[in-house]
Amino acid sequence: MLRNHPTLRHMVGRMGWYLLTFLVAVTINFFLPRLGDANPVDTMMAKVSGSLDSQSAKDKEEAYLKEFGLVEVDSDGTLQRDAAGKPIRTSLASQFGRYLAKSLRGDLGTSILQHPKRVSEIIKTALPWTLALQLPTIVLGWIAGNLLGALAAYRRGVFDRVFYPLALLASAVPAFCVGILLVYLFGIRLEWFPAVGGYDDGMVPSWSWGFLESASYYYVLPFLSIFLIVVGGQAIGMRSMCIYELGTDYVKYAKLLGIRESKILLYMFRNAMLPQLTGLALALGTMVGGALITEMIFSYPGLGMAVLTAIQGNDYPLITGCTLLVTTCVLVANFSVDVLIGFLDPRIRAAHAGGAA
Amino acid sequence: MSLARAIVVLLSLLLVQCRAERDPSSAFPRAETLYVGGRQWGEPRSFNPLISSPDWPIDGINLLYETLFFYDWQTGKMEPLLAESYTLSDDSLEVVLNPAARWNDGQPVTGWDVKFTFELAKKYKALKLAPLWKYIREVRLPDEPSDIRTAALGGRYPRHVVFVFNPERRNPLVVLDALQEATQARIVPRHVIEPLLAGLGGDMNEFAKLKFDQNPVTSGPYRLFSYSSEKIVLVRDDAYWGNQALYGGKLPAPKYIIHPIYKSGDHFSVALQQGRLDVSCTFVPRIWLKRSKGVRSWYENEPFFVSLATPMLAINVNHRPLDDVKMRRAMAFAINYRDIRELAVSGYSKPLRPGLIVPFGPEAKYYSEEDAQKYGTYYDPEQAKALLREAGYRPVFGADGELVETRDAQGNRLPTIYVKSPTGWSDYESIVRIAVQSMRKVGIDARERFVDAGLYWPAQFTGDFDLLLFMPPPEPTPSKPWSRFEFLLTSKEWAPEGEKVYKNYGRFNHRGSPDYDPRIDELLELIPKLHDEGEIVAAYRELNVLFMRYQPTLPVVYRPDQFFEVSLRHWTHFPTAEDPYVPPQIPGDRLGTKMLWHLQPTGKN
Repeated sequence: MLRNHPTLRHMVGRMGWYLLTFLVAVTINFFLPRLGDANPVDTMMAKVSGSLDSQSAKDKEEAYLKEFGLVEVDSDGTLQRDAAGKPIRTSLASQFGRYLAKSLRGDLGTSILQHPKRVSEIIKTALPWTLALQLPTIVLGWIAGNLLGALAAYRRGVFDRVFYPLALLASAVPAFCVGILLVYLFGIRLEWFPAVGGYDDGMVPSWSWGFLESASYYYVLPFLSIFLIVVGGQAIGMRSMCIYELGTDYVKYAKLLGIRESKILLYMFRNAMLPQLTGLALALGTMVGGALITEMIFSYPGLGMAVLTAIQGNDYPLITGCTLLVTTCVLVANFSVDVLIGFLDPRIRAAHAGGAA
Repeated sequence: MSLARAIVVLLSLLLVQCRAERDPSSAFPRAETLYVGGRQWGEPRSFNPLISSPDWPIDGINLLYETLFFYDWQTGKMEPLLAESYTLSDDSLEVVLNPAARWNDGQPVTGWDVKFTFELAKKYKALKLAPLWKYIREVRLPDEPSDIRTAALGGRYPRHVVFVFNPERRNPLVVLDALQEATQARIVPRHVIEPLLAGLGGDMNEFAKLKFDQNPVTSGPYRLFSYSSEKIVLVRDDAYWGNQALYGGKLPAPKYIIHPIYKSGDHFSVALQQGRLDVSCTFVPRIWLKRSKGVRSWYENEPFFVSLATPMLAINVNHRPLDDVKMRRAMAFAINYRDIRELAVSGYSKPLRPGLIVPFGPEAKYYSEEDAQKYGTYYDPEQAKALLREAGYRPVFGADGELVETRDAQGNRLPTIYVKSPTGWSDYESIVRIAVQSMRKVGIDARERFVDAGLYWPAQFTGDFDLLLFMPPPEPTPSKPWSRFEFLLTSKEWAPEGEKVYKNYGRFNHRGSPDYDPRIDELLELIPKLHDEGEIVAAYRELNVLFMRYQPTLPVVYRPDQFFEVSLRHWTHFPTAEDPYVPPQIPGDRLGTKMLWHLQPTGKN
């Protein structure tokens, strides 16, 4: 059946690879944070042990170890101990087994540092902010960047000579630098825009004009700090792609044939877009990891900070929960691009059709 | 093309719009809202009063749950809160509750509630209050009605609570600490907690999963209004019992108290100078530059803050050459404390004096400058070198003048001394760098070792360090400075290296060791039992001299246990050094709570 549907076959083949990548990524995501010497229970104990005497501290530590499934327990819930009376640590392999079984049921577990919050709960509150900050920024930046890049390549002349160095600069400056400059200039010196936060502290999030206005006012600087960089990066890529396409045989041939210029531009644009599309997909996929730097500089709510504190505190369930989300999104985004390109790029269709013949 | 133009137009529109004055359609009127900062850093997760570190304003804050007393370190007295007074006798401490004290559901705060709160910690060893039960034997209610059923009908309830000391470890100081410590002894409503806990089969780990974020029954002046990952909002409870009973019928000035949640100290600092935050307890660098923005601290001028906490370097006395008193004292002479004070803590404290007693504030009466001069160590590199020579240590310097190694009397190379500290804690890192530099200058082979915080904490307990920078519990409490000495010097909690100890990290003065000095433990036992002020001073002096002679840890600088900065843009009448009606503590934090009844809005927007 697949023989007659080259595109479908292409998709199924890709899907197999993605599944494999997913499994490998999940395994690495699980083991990597757990390989170090540090242990989240020690971090928690440091916070609480100041006033405790040694015996109560030990009891408390064992309660935590039990709670987070780091030690072996009997069927009736009592700790298993070795000959020296120390609790027996659960092996990594069996922790992994339990983790897989739970994840398959959609249970990402309980955060250790933010105990008793569930990992899914934490992701649920942070994700909308992350998406709201990044989705429009990346999409608008990508569109604007590509248009400007194509324009620069096509027009050349003064526009290109001014625009190109600016775009290079924007893409080369690190994100935190742009962010800090924006905050310093517009937030602290001029006080045009707020330097900190996602909306006015005196507001309660709601679908009211007042709130939306406040949120968009607070949105400007974080938006610009990412937007400028995305525009710069995309424009440079698009510009060079277009210049390359302008020199190709098909463009020359089309010109010789006397085809209308706008038609030629459309051909060229379609071809130049392909690599840019992959870039967009990757950007959208990794987006859910959070714009950590932007979040930190502007104290903007989002997932980036959750991931950072989770990693710093060895909050295993939260780390694996977030990396699972990122992995899934990156793979899904990539896969959709693969599918999309399968439709958009005649060369790929042709290659598969040819292989079948 | 047209899309790009549209975006540009849209953005410029947005810019213009934002420059215009915004409509103050805020849910919380500025003149009735006090913004506080610095006590909540991550997303709120639980307001459960029985877990070990619940969110603001439960942990260490008297706005929802309350303690029996406030401790005023400026006067050294216990100020009434849920309790009116206490009397101390030889074998017990009796507390009398305020008859007006009420839960916000109208029930009185009774001796049963107090007894229940303390007895929870007897049963559940993981509660922060649990260690208290080494020092008390029983909590008794002498005026408990004999027939509880008729008593409840008649509205009679016990108001006297007697804490009976454990005769083997009589220590009123520890008990007094517990009565005012809002991180441990928040009095909880028995009529709510007991049935909840019973419903869960008494399982405290299950109970710890309850969040207590929906109209919890509390006794304090505010209630939880709302919370999100961006802020926690409290609203005034106009029916608060204390308004009549403690504040002459006045209401606290702010109707709302909001704690915004920012990601770093810088944001609190920016918010403070922009007037978006009114009180903060975060570190604000170069605070004198913020004066023109209406920001001020406790003192108008240097040192700006009251510094009662002492970060120090723990010394693992089992590691060679740190087992040698002369080496430890040489290190204490070598460290440039002035540089640490000026560079690592922005000069926000008074100069360090030898010993463990802070020479100003509540402990000043126990401090002896004479002893400090006679036995103490201070920055003097020549003395450090002389001590090293005397002990037979020989530093070897390279041709470039840099230290290569230190040798002992037999000419063998001494192991390098590593100073452990968490990586990325910038003030800690600068302290360690300065200490290492000054030790190397006199010929002690010390090096920095910055490690991940996840490795730093366990090392602290297991003794996996040579030197380690840390801070003993910093809060000023009735038991200071005794509890600081006990925390650092007690031999009772000793365990071999590799096993965890939660006091005396350097494992100093082990009972089994040949140079065990029993006098230290004797004095630690004795001081809490003394009544006579003269005897207390003498005992502290003796203990402090012992500390200076053995130098088992290296105090490096004084710093505030809590910073305290205010913005005068929206509220005035904050306490200051000139008008110290309460100590520099943010509202809700111990006596700082009282400032809520003093503040006045400026009415500015």
